[in-house]
Amino acid sequence: MSPYILHPRFKAQYDPNNQEFSISGVVRPQAIDELGPSLALLRDAISCVRGVLYVNVKRLTQMNNAAFHAFSRVIIDACRARPDLRFVVITSSVVGWTSRKFGRLSGIEPNVTVEEYDSEFYPGQGFLEEGGFVPILRTQTKMTWRHERAILPRHGMRPGIVMADICCGIGDFAVLVQKEFQPSRIVALDHSISSLDYARRVMREFDIRGIEYTYGDASEMLLDEAQFDLVTCRHSLQIFNRPELILKELYRICKPGGRVYITNEKNSHCLGEPRAESIRWTYNEVAKLFAHFEMDVELGPKSRRYLMEAGFEDIRVESFMVTNLDGDPQDFADVIEAWADVYAGEMAAKRGDGPEFVARFRQGFQDHIFAALHPKGYAGWPIWIASGRRPQ
Amino acid sequence: MGSVHHEPAGGPTFEPLIQVDMEIKTFVSAWQHCDYVSTYMARMISQKRSDSVRHSNLFSSAFNELLEVAFRTRHAEGELACRVSRQGATDRIELTIPCVPEERQFYQEAVAQVAGFEARERYLNSVSGDLAPSREVVLLELAVDYNATLRVEEAEGDAIKLVVDLPLEGLQH
Repeated sequence: MSPYILHPRFKAQYDPNNQEFSISGVVRPQAIDELGPSLALLRDAISCVRGVLYVNVKRLTQMNNAAFHAFSRVIIDACRARPDLRFVVITSSVVGWTSRKFGRLSGIEPNVTVEEYDSEFYPGQGFLEEGGFVPILRTQTKMTWRHERAILPRHGMRPGIVMADICCGIGDFAVLVQKEFQPSRIVALDHSISSLDYARRVMREFDIRGIEYTYGDASEMLLDEAQFDLVTCRHSLQIFNRPELILKELYRICKPGGRVYITNEKNSHCLGEPRAESIRWTYNEVAKLFAHFEMDVELGPKSRRYLMEAGFEDIRVESFMVTNLDGDPQDFADVIEAWADVYAGEMAAKRGDGPEFVARFRQGFQDHIFAALHPKGYAGWPIWIASGRRPQ
Repeated sequence: MGSVHHEPAGGPTFEPLIQVDMEIKTFVSAWQHCDYVSTYMARMISQKRSDSVRHSNLFSSAFNELLEVAFRTRHAEGELACRVSRQGATDRIELTIPCVPEERQFYQEAVAQVAGFEARERYLNSVSGDLAPSREVVLLELAVDYNATLRVEEAEGDAIKLVVDLPLEGLQH
């Protein structure tokens, strides 16, 4: 029997609370009869709703014309029978054809609008993705790489593997991995087009091969199941409001027996001497500030729990401290300065913090810089690394 | 009958990437072959594109439609040949399909309509109409949604060659 029959490759659901009909997966029927239950569900949904019906196709990776026509027919008929009803089709900017194909419907029926799902679904991350932050991201990676290059082999990194770097940002980690470990293939994914443009430019200018940069949503990737020996996702679970969704996807694309490697921070544990008290207060406030924007920069030590709950086994956790003694202390100071600009600047302003709070908040960063550059000072930024194996 | 396919003198040269041939009997024995072949070939040819995953998804989407058209051939003998080649941002699919004389005429007319000025309008009318999409509509959609250009060439024996140029790199973002 065909695996297609054993495992239907698409799923249709209706959520009455959100008045949302969603269809996901690969929908390539030979005959419309195969869609009978899904079309009936859509018709039922239409008969139940008032006002707006959301049609969510953002996880629809493929749909042939026969299926598109069948679903469109139901929507167009409903528009004509019920002019009071509006349809909002939610497509994904990641799946190139959906907005073009479903966009045609709004040209036929004015009650149909098409909205492209995009980065607005990543609350807060815009703060960290502005162009000015790129040099700091590069410096951060340079600082963490000194530690990770020794740590990675303990978590499944070795030459010749097929790996994915999810939330790759500007791609500098992927480049360092390519040079150091020579995996046979790296797929590096991010949802920031400007970061990927930067990464591709670097790849061209330095004639780097073996890395494929791809635009995508980490919580809903187009990548096939079980294809990577190692999946890395660094400093990213902590800035998603639902990290368990990302982990589910990392698990899905990892081969059975392969490993998923995550790094995260616990910002309140950033430290420095002298001026320890002021530094501690500010980084405690950093954690609260991120929590306000639904990001958990305290996630590091929770990594073990997240990996266990996602179904991984043989979980390994370790931590390291990036310090002012690792390399040029000015690098450390530059990173803190950039954090201060964003956290005590745009983010604090957006939360509505008053000038008195902002002044004290900023002082902690200045004290951290002072500690980093002090001839007898010590400044640290702790990172937690965790990896788990997908069961065979 | 010999192949009459020639690149125009001084025209762009398409570099061959991959070719898959199948007995048409085997191909039409399972609908899923359209999905298998389109997905496999899309993956194989997309690795050097600027965004391999996105390109593979787009290419598979367009190519599957062509294979579904070929699946409905009424000719029981011969070979289906799928060849993909590349010139810059454009990927070319050459699909050689066994066909009976009436089908040959159908393809020639359908491709002529795709090239017409009203392609978009015809496509929209088909979506809003009551009938299930015909093979002609599928070809129209390739032109409208993927900016494809199509032409028909003669092929050896009772077959026709559909040549589809897909400028998918230009469709990115």
